[in-house]
Amino acid sequence: MASDQCPVASVHRLRVALLFLASLLATDHWPLATSHSHAQPTATYSEKDFLSQTRRLTFEGRRAGEGYFSPDGTKIAFQSEREPGNPFYQIYVLDLRSGDTRRISPGIGKTTCAFFHPKTGDILFASTHHDPRSLELQKAELEARKSGKERRYGWDYDPEMDLYVANQTTSALKRLTNVRGYDAEGSYSPDGQWIVFTSTRDAYNRTLTASEQKQLEVDPSFFAEIYIMRADGSGARRLTNVNGYDGGPFFFPDGSRIVWRRFDEAGLIADVWTMKPDGSDQRQVTDFKSMSWAPYLHPSGEYLFFASNKYGFENFEVFIVDTKGTKEPVRVTFTLGFDGLPVPSPDGKQLAWTSTRDGGLGQMYIGRWNHEKALEAVKAAPVRAHGQK
Amino acid sequence: MTTHGIRRPLLTVSALLIAALTHGPLVRVSAQARSQGAAPDLATVSATRAHVEALASDRFDGRAAGSEGAKLAADYLVDQLQRLGARPLPGQQDLRFAFQFTGGVKDGGSSVALKAAGGDAERWTAADTVQGLSFSDSGQVSGQVVFAGYGLVVPESGSFSYDSYGAMNVKDKIVVVLRYYPEDADEQIKTVLARYSGLRYKALAARERGARALVVITGPRSPNAGTVAPMTFDAAVAGSGIVAASVGGVVADALFKQVSGKSLDAAQQALDTGNPHVAGFEIPGVELTLDVKVTRERQTDHNVVAYLPPQQAGSPSVDKPYVMLGAHYDHLGHGGHGSSLARREEMGSIHHGADDNASGVAAVLAAGAQLAGMKRDRGIVLAFWSGEELGLLGSAEFTRGPPVPIDQIAAYVNLDMVGRMRDNKLAVQAAGTSSAWPRVIEQTNVPIGFDIQLQNDPNLPTDTSSFNAASIPCLSLFTGSHPDYHRPTDVASAINVADLDRVARFTALLAQKVANLPQPPDFIKVRRTTDEGGGDRAALRVFTGTIPDYTSEVQGLKLGGVIDGGPAAKAGLKEGDVIVEFAGRKVANIYDYMYALEGVKIGVPVKVVYLRGGNPAEVTLTPEARK
Repeated sequence: MASDQCPVASVHRLRVALLFLASLLATDHWPLATSHSHAQPTATYSEKDFLSQTRRLTFEGRRAGEGYFSPDGTKIAFQSEREPGNPFYQIYVLDLRSGDTRRISPGIGKTTCAFFHPKTGDILFASTHHDPRSLELQKAELEARKSGKERRYGWDYDPEMDLYVANQTTSALKRLTNVRGYDAEGSYSPDGQWIVFTSTRDAYNRTLTASEQKQLEVDPSFFAEIYIMRADGSGARRLTNVNGYDGGPFFFPDGSRIVWRRFDEAGLIADVWTMKPDGSDQRQVTDFKSMSWAPYLHPSGEYLFFASNKYGFENFEVFIVDTKGTKEPVRVTFTLGFDGLPVPSPDGKQLAWTSTRDGGLGQMYIGRWNHEKALEAVKAAPVRAHGQK
Repeated sequence: MTTHGIRRPLLTVSALLIAALTHGPLVRVSAQARSQGAAPDLATVSATRAHVEALASDRFDGRAAGSEGAKLAADYLVDQLQRLGARPLPGQQDLRFAFQFTGGVKDGGSSVALKAAGGDAERWTAADTVQGLSFSDSGQVSGQVVFAGYGLVVPESGSFSYDSYGAMNVKDKIVVVLRYYPEDADEQIKTVLARYSGLRYKALAARERGARALVVITGPRSPNAGTVAPMTFDAAVAGSGIVAASVGGVVADALFKQVSGKSLDAAQQALDTGNPHVAGFEIPGVELTLDVKVTRERQTDHNVVAYLPPQQAGSPSVDKPYVMLGAHYDHLGHGGHGSSLARREEMGSIHHGADDNASGVAAVLAAGAQLAGMKRDRGIVLAFWSGEELGLLGSAEFTRGPPVPIDQIAAYVNLDMVGRMRDNKLAVQAAGTSSAWPRVIEQTNVPIGFDIQLQNDPNLPTDTSSFNAASIPCLSLFTGSHPDYHRPTDVASAINVADLDRVARFTALLAQKVANLPQPPDFIKVRRTTDEGGGDRAALRVFTGTIPDYTSEVQGLKLGGVIDGGPAAKAGLKEGDVIVEFAGRKVANIYDYMYALEGVKIGVPVKVVYLRGGNPAEVTLTPEARK
């Protein structure tokens, strides 16, 4: 859900950072992680083993992605650049039965990362619409795009970004955070009592050293950490404290742990981690030595999804792995281009994700998910030689 | 769908599937479906099956425009439209709209004469020695003779340049060219040349260079050596603007006797290498007189157009109150008109046209039946065209002289060949014609769930082109070509009825969404050289360096070779490999492969799954631009 998980932002982010690295490699593939090679033969799968009836779900607008299902599975909340006059993402709710789409966010400014409240169906998202410069920024971005001088990636971790919750029927907004710093990538606990989210507030509420200040200008995500607060926005508490971008947190289906992804300081390598909701017992799940991110649990709790560019620095694919990372991850998408931000439906029988498989900047796709096959594959995967860290 | 480009019947089907289809029961729309606009229960009643089986049955005899079979088909449509409650367009009394077209062409006694300097004139009149080309102007011309090889001109966009005329001046001369294209060129080059080897195209090239007439000979090294080109019916008959005829071997020999030191056979052999530097030459001292008499037969056929008014009187007045759904109902009859791809043993049989386009007709009828019970602020026009296979005649006639003001039509949705859905894939073409389409398509498809391939290019070999030319936002639905295309084997039993019903439902929902838009869709003129989207021009732009093995009968595309240094070679593909998936699309035959090529972009790597020695493997291939 994390904003930088917005596919293009991340792809471009990588593109810039990794150009030099790619040029060093004989192929455009990442070197395979060496720590976990194993003599045991690995089963070979294809996309059809796990996904059937895959299809493109969204067509309107420049791009769309990060779809999350409503608790009853009949709707998807997603972000899309399709609002006339606004080049930035807005939040929409798509009714999977009728096909009707409704904008739920104010239409002004930037938004990202919607998530349904598990009980009320209200919709959490991050927005900058309170920023009085919003219209000005929209205009500037539109003009920049028109002149072809679009920024390499459009995501800037705007410190104006704050969390809001929209009433699902009236769209009435309630502001949940109100401190300087990027507050976004929020999601609810299964009981709806808590919100985990990403914030760069630490970079704005203290005096930074000269080198930190420079870091903030180059890459504000360096300061992003995971926080937890009550669903009404009170009692925010920091859970992570490591340099580099920590983001995209979600609860396990039973609420026992939180999964998120942690970038290294350079912002090049990311891995999936889990921890208890109090921030203790932090464990690394993946170890591809590539960018593994966008984790999300299957509702069975048996395995988690993530996306990684292990097979080519712009060729993100979706993987599944047991929640402790004791086995080798199993690749489940096999299509060139970006395949990421995987999110299963509440019944675990569908998968929504974001892909560039038909070209363009990314749109949402959906397919039938073969949970039995996935479970079998996760169980049959070889044990990692070095185990988890 | 009209024949467009080269669609040779490259794969055999295991057996002829011609079933003795009887006239199926007429469809009755249940009261429930009518009142709810609900999709019929697919498990029990198909909304489309009976229509397809009826129209593709022997009774309609292939529905050739102007034939008795087409008239019976029109009767069927009128009956079905009345059953679903459609009525004539405002101000009209009838659902039938007659139009005239040239339905046949005959040679009325053409002749050719040669006079060598100082010699006597020789003259031929027999039908196997001279015959007008079907699109020729009638008239008598005389002039000096220039031999221009194969008369081929390949524009720069080809993978290489080829111009049979080179620096030759043919103004006011009579140009003699060979039929077909160089026989010994490699397959890849031949594929390009073949596209430009049509006689009409050769005549155009000669006319553009100021030639007075075109004479075609079938070379001794070509198939059908020495014969005259049959007078195949050509739809856009009149107005080719040049006198053109085909002559037999005896005339060709007499002509080449005047060329010192070079036989026709030798001249053709030099050209057949495909070497673009082999030039043509003047044949001095010979005056050729060509007298071509071509007579054309005017025929009449009908479009069938009906109307479902807005749901109730007093509906809010809307801008552009008509939304059109259309499908052509004509097909090829017994295949006598030239665009048949029947194999030798199938020739002359009924071309049933179950997919092309009983499927589209059935879907429009079924969608109409559903729309009759659905809320709609705009009226729905249900249109069934004839003469499509002869060159979009019916739809062109409609847009030329529309029974409702053309600028009052909000949009046109075309269905042509929608009955062979595979893997849930539906091509939605011409999507570039309005900025409204992505949203409408997205919302329509969410509950239906097709794997939609969006293509922007509206320049399609189907009736959409008539409406795009009239600046009307349009879409065309298409489920892909197949080896039974334009053959008697395009039969009802091969139709994927369950998915055709879904296409009908999709069409009804799409039409309703457009009918209820507060503002009609805007129209965008898509430039022909659009960089994105489909159309077979896109496929032509792309160079993969594969050489298909046209003789094999495997599932997939077997490679007869790869071009050195081309993308396929770079990817590691080799002769004998069988491509079974290209860029995420299953490849069962060359048609699938061409279709897959439409979706790829130059420089964007695609995955290729292939079989080598029966074992599957995959590589990444990066298509390049044709140079």
